[in-house]
Amino acid sequence: MTANVRGTMRKRGRWKFLSWLLPHSILVVFSAVILLPLLWLLRVALTDKSTAYKIPPEWGQASLDNFIEIFTGYPFFSYFLNSVTVALGATVIALPLAVGMAYAFARYNTGGLSLRLFVLSSQMLPPVILVLPLFTLFLKASLINTLPGLILAHMTLSLPFLAWLLVAFFDGEVATLEQAARTDGATRFQALVRITLPVAAPGILAAGLLAFLLSWNEFLYALILSGPHTNTLPVGLSSFQTHRGVDIALLSAATICAILPAMVLLPFLRRYLIRGLSLGALK
Amino acid sequence: MANIVLEGVTKVYGQDILAVDNIDLEIREGEFMVLLGPSGCGKSTTLRMIAGLEEVTSGTLRISDEVVNDVDPADRDLAVVFQNYALYPHMTVERNLAFGLKLRKTPQEVIDRRIRDTTAMLGIDSLLDRRPSELSGGQQQRVALGRALVRDPEAFLLDEPLSNLDAKLRAAMRTELIKIHRMLGKTVVHVTHDQVEAMTMGERICIMREGRIIQVGPPLEVYRHPADSFVAGFLASPPMNLLKARLSGHHGVDEVDLSAVNLPIPRHRQAPLRRHAGSEVVVGIRPEDVHTQEPSDGTHHRVDITVVAVEVLGPEVILVADLGGGQEISVRQGATFHAVAGARIPLYIDLEQLHFFEVDSGLAVLHGGASGPVRPELGSYLKEGGP
Ligand SMILES: Nc1ncnc2c1ncn2[C@@H]1O[C@H](COP(=O)(O)OP(=O)(O)OP(=O)(O)O)[C@@H](O)[C@H]1O
Ligand SMILES: [Mg+2]
Repeated sequence: MTANVRGTMRKRGRWKFLSWLLPHSILVVFSAVILLPLLWLLRVALTDKSTAYKIPPEWGQASLDNFIEIFTGYPFFSYFLNSVTVALGATVIALPLAVGMAYAFARYNTGGLSLRLFVLSSQMLPPVILVLPLFTLFLKASLINTLPGLILAHMTLSLPFLAWLLVAFFDGEVATLEQAARTDGATRFQALVRITLPVAAPGILAAGLLAFLLSWNEFLYALILSGPHTNTLPVGLSSFQTHRGVDIALLSAATICAILPAMVLLPFLRRYLIRGLSLGALK
Repeated sequence: MANIVLEGVTKVYGQDILAVDNIDLEIREGEFMVLLGPSGCGKSTTLRMIAGLEEVTSGTLRISDEVVNDVDPADRDLAVVFQNYALYPHMTVERNLAFGLKLRKTPQEVIDRRIRDTTAMLGIDSLLDRRPSELSGGQQQRVALGRALVRDPEAFLLDEPLSNLDAKLRAAMRTELIKIHRMLGKTVVHVTHDQVEAMTMGERICIMREGRIIQVGPPLEVYRHPADSFVAGFLASPPMNLLKARLSGHHGVDEVDLSAVNLPIPRHRQAPLRRHAGSEVVVGIRPEDVHTQEPSDGTHHRVDITVVAVEVLGPEVILVADLGGGQEISVRQGATFHAVAGARIPLYIDLEQLHFFEVDSGLAVLHGGASGPVRPELGSYLKEGGP
């Protein structure tokens, strides 16, 4: 090996190291930005109420007292249950409807581009504008302070975005598969149920998870349309801010509990979303 | 078995994309018909209309003498093999093959037997439990073919099924498809833009261009009597040399002027050319109708040319020659031919084999060989005004 060749190899090695270092340093910074507040939250949730406020932080004995207190001293479990009911209900009802809408858009071009944009246009307004008329409507329909009402409200948020997202999964490759099934003797419905839906399932599931999280984290509609018995987690969390000030330790424990389902769902979301999107439009 | 008849069939996509323009075509029962043409000429659209995957904008489509314009694709009993195979990715090979049969409520033992026979024929019986993603391109292609065969449909529609295979596999599958067609005797419509595929596989070839049918006929017929200069320049590799020329000489048809060289036109061939006496024409010379040694039959005319390039293909050699005046021709030679670029050598052009085409329409005026003037039935496929 000549010195020259060895030199270029060393140079290439250095270049390789640099191209490894740069993205990794950026990732480290970003991860820290996202993770540090979460770790801080965890620390506060595990300390007792007095040390929670101490700066610089003191490291006392970790304890689960705060977690126990939110479940025993507060209706936290009821918040949790309400959130699960609303998020699950809104998603489970919206998803099949969105599948139908997206299928109509993709196969029949129903309403053309203008209807597609119209569906999306409700998402372009700030939610505050929509929530007040919704409040009046719900009041008339006796849907205020009920879980079905909140489910309906959250569906108005998730349905347009779900339909919009799913159109991409029905275009492209899947369309050809569906045609193959049609020439194989399948009716439109059989082709949809036996070919398109199974093949697009990862994408549909990912979209469903997104809708679930959207509803799970939603605050404004829940705050205005729900009452004491139908409060969801985000609203419940805000109630830890009492007139005595914020009970930061309890709030941290509650927040940890609230983001837990999201943390559990995210890995699935990532896997399905990548598979779903690579089957759909991005391929 | 089925015949497929298109009468004045037109396809317009959206508002104004004219993909297929008023075509008439009869595909006979049991025939292997190849739709051939350059990219975007409307081959796939034609096939997809036959399959029922695209609506016919206007015209009539008949299968087995029944108008099927509005018949659902599921009820046409045709099998389509797609270019990308379109295997169901979430099913095993076995379930891919069984899908169509199950939909038709075929008894399980019949399904099993059909799958056994078909997979044995195609040599894919060991792949039944695999998913499409676990197959090579060639295996996927066979499975796609198997899925079409296993249903025993009225006719097969193939949209460039071989184009994703490597050259060797493609040649093997060509032979195999022909064998299968002979065995089953079913109607096949095969779409390709590969003229070798068309020549070797088709019982008849339908050549399309810009949404129209230019010519339909058996491969050799189309090869020998191309309806126009487009067909002549599309078939074979290298294709016919098409040279700008002018008819000239004492009666205006005695010779053809290729600017740097003049070729005499034998007296007995002059009559069909009179209409174009003295005017510009396109002269077609097949690469195999030019020789480097003078043949003994006395119908050849010597011209001296400059060697531009010699392409060695193995069994044969393609000589690219400069006739002067900016005209080049390709000449097919045996493997032993040798020349260096820039050399001056004589060529002998067979005057009996010259083809003549109109300049504007491209329509054939006179074909080479004993066939003489263009036969009217060939022209019947040409639409008004030509391509
Ligand atoms: N779904 C569609 N919408 C609009 N235009 C289309 C559509 N499908 C095809 N076309 C147009 O119709 C014409 C014919 O297309 P077609 O697919 O039949 O060509 P082809 O002969 O099969 O070409 P290739 O060899 O590239 O497959 C092209 O101009 C194409 O752009
Ligand atoms: Mg095509």
